[in-house]
Amino acid sequence: MGNYLDLHVIPRPEDKQSCERMADLLSEAHYRTVGLTVATGLLNERIKAVRRIFEDRGLDTVLRVDLKPGSRTELLRLLRRFRSLYDIVAVGCLNQQVATVSCRDSRVDMIFFNGASRNLRFSHTFARLLRGAIELNLVSDLISRDDGWAFVRLRKAISVASEHHAKVVLSSGARSFEMVRSPFQISALAITLGLGAEDSIRAVSSTPSSIVAANRMKRASEYVEEGVKIVVPSRR
Amino acid sequence: MAKRYILVKVVCDRKLTNEQLNEALNNSAKRYFGELGLSRIDLRIIRFDAESSMAIISCERNATPEVGAAISLITTYAEVPMSLLALRVSGTVKGAAKRGK
Repeated sequence: MGNYLDLHVIPRPEDKQSCERMADLLSEAHYRTVGLTVATGLLNERIKAVRRIFEDRGLDTVLRVDLKPGSRTELLRLLRRFRSLYDIVAVGCLNQQVATVSCRDSRVDMIFFNGASRNLRFSHTFARLLRGAIELNLVSDLISRDDGWAFVRLRKAISVASEHHAKVVLSSGARSFEMVRSPFQISALAITLGLGAEDSIRAVSSTPSSIVAANRMKRASEYVEEGVKIVVPSRR
Repeated sequence: MAKRYILVKVVCDRKLTNEQLNEALNNSAKRYFGELGLSRIDLRIIRFDAESSMAIISCERNATPEVGAAISLITTYAEVPMSLLALRVSGTVKGAAKRGK
């Protein structure tokens, strides 16, 4: 079985039953790692309790934060404050200015666009600047709107990302257990929207996995900076 | 024509019958791929166990992604929240059923 990840799962910490059902389904769907998106002000005990629910079912968890700043300065302030506290930092792009800076900044792991926004979408300009990955929340975007716009937006994003060989991460964006889908379903949705079969599998396995691995390495105590880490000499 | 068999779990608080599941599947496939797409997919329910909420559905091998997408986009049936979770894809019914036991 492959190493599949869903990096955008949004559990409701106050609803334990819903979290448990979500964790059961994610585990049944063969996910190995899930990215739990939590509010920045959530107490540590609450976060630990939610993580335990998922980890008890054999799932590896990473903590993720979704930043939705309104301006460049707010984005930079939020990144300074939260980068070191979370495994994954994703930015929801609400305007052109934030999207441009997020694409350039190496502290941003992933960017995503609001499914409802008609004014802002993943364009060639952003694809050229992108250092992290573009995240497509297929399930939440496609089932939350009924006008077909989400299909158009996602199809264009996939086409632009493929043209520029940008890193693509496919996630569910699940807010409840009814929105949980298996890796096969997520990649099938991307294939029907124009992503290649191999690329779609990569986008639910090796691409998100490499982001998690790189960030875990950076957050380890022995990490100093890129290419430099403390090595403890072995006792002989 | 070669087939693919998909083991799916029905996630719904209401117990569904075979006909209701069939209707939900066909409506979703028809909605997103049209009548022509539906005929190309050749979607069928091979087995459905209402007690365990597990079903095996078959489709044309070339249309597997379309079926995956169609079952992902099911959110309600008769105004009751419902979703389908594809657990295994196989070239044989036996292979698909393995995971269900």
